[in-house]
Amino acid sequence: MTVEEAANTILGGLREAGINLVASLPDINLAQLLGAIERDQDVLHVPLCREEEGIGICAGAYLVGKKCAVVMQNGGFFNSNNAIVSTLLQYQIPLLLLIYYAGDIGDRTFSTTGSMTEPVLSALGIRSYILRQLDQVKEVIKRAQILAEDSKRPVALLLTKEVLGRRAAAGVLRTRNDAADDERQ
Amino acid sequence: MKRFDCLKALAAEAGDALVVSSAGATTLEWNALRPSDGNFRVRTLGLCSSIALGMALGLPRRKVIALDGDGSLLMNLCSLPTIARMNPKNLIHVVFDNQVYEASGSGETATARGADLVGIALAAGIKGACWANSVESFAQAISQALKRQELAFIGAKVDVTRTLVAPYPMDEVENKYRFVRHIEATEKIEILKTSLPASYG
Repeated sequence: MTVEEAANTILGGLREAGINLVASLPDINLAQLLGAIERDQDVLHVPLCREEEGIGICAGAYLVGKKCAVVMQNGGFFNSNNAIVSTLLQYQIPLLLLIYYAGDIGDRTFSTTGSMTEPVLSALGIRSYILRQLDQVKEVIKRAQILAEDSKRPVALLLTKEVLGRRAAAGVLRTRNDAADDERQ
Repeated sequence: MKRFDCLKALAAEAGDALVVSSAGATTLEWNALRPSDGNFRVRTLGLCSSIALGMALGLPRRKVIALDGDGSLLMNLCSLPTIARMNPKNLIHVVFDNQVYEASGSGETATARGADLVGIALAAGIKGACWANSVESFAQAISQALKRQELAFIGAKVDVTRTLVAPYPMDEVENKYRFVRHIEATEKIEILKTSLPASYG
């Protein structure tokens, strides 16, 4: 599976879920997905300067009838927390959060960010699902959007390297050369 | 110049424009002058312009007015290059700059020491951003912005004066439902879908 196939599958899931506005901030692991979103004529792509503004943009767009998602890294999820609490949760506004899981098991970078990601989601009462198998992605995205709309809350999907078609983290079996390859990707 | 006088001028022109207002007294004063389900009160400091941008992108044929403050905009300056990049022709971004955090004890904001929000907006790429230096010029700028199909940014230096008005008459969730129902009714679209019970399937 190539990163392009992975990107097209995830974008296909978003489209089938009815998503027609995506706000985003890049991570190298999201580059192909964001490129595919940008090229899609039916999805309005809003590139952000900081993730918190994306929460506001999606809240406003939801209130006038758009179905929205934010695509960002988990560091960006942390950047967004005040908006998530005092806008999304306070007003009961649904929003799909597609969060690249930096510091996932086996990663050699951002382990602190990774370690706080699920606990913070849990503390905010945001239901989250880790995506590791591409053949489940479309179905999970559709169900997550239904859950967000029904619960009127944000729902988080954690995007791992596996599901983005990147070289999967392989823990102790990896060599220094593997890590160097990742750096060059 | 008093903010309340600017808001009066705006209320006379705003028609059915959607109005998003920043946390603080601006919201209460605006709601007293134009009570409407098309008003949305923001509770996250900084997010006023972003929420308004989302509405403007979602409903490109409807005018959306953001009533921002200096403290709020300073917290979310990155909203300006994003607005410039998306360039929604139906968004009017108003900033009342009283140079203090009025709702938080009236400590000085950075605009009291020289930060120029119109200059920052221009540098971010919002062409035509301007200061309105009197209620008359504010009213004129608003009137033009409502007629034109063009992104607008209007700054207004105002006194630190509140006008005594009624408290906001609803909580956040009621505000959301009333706003969404207002959009459904005026745009003739369905936003909040309700599912049939399983037994009807």
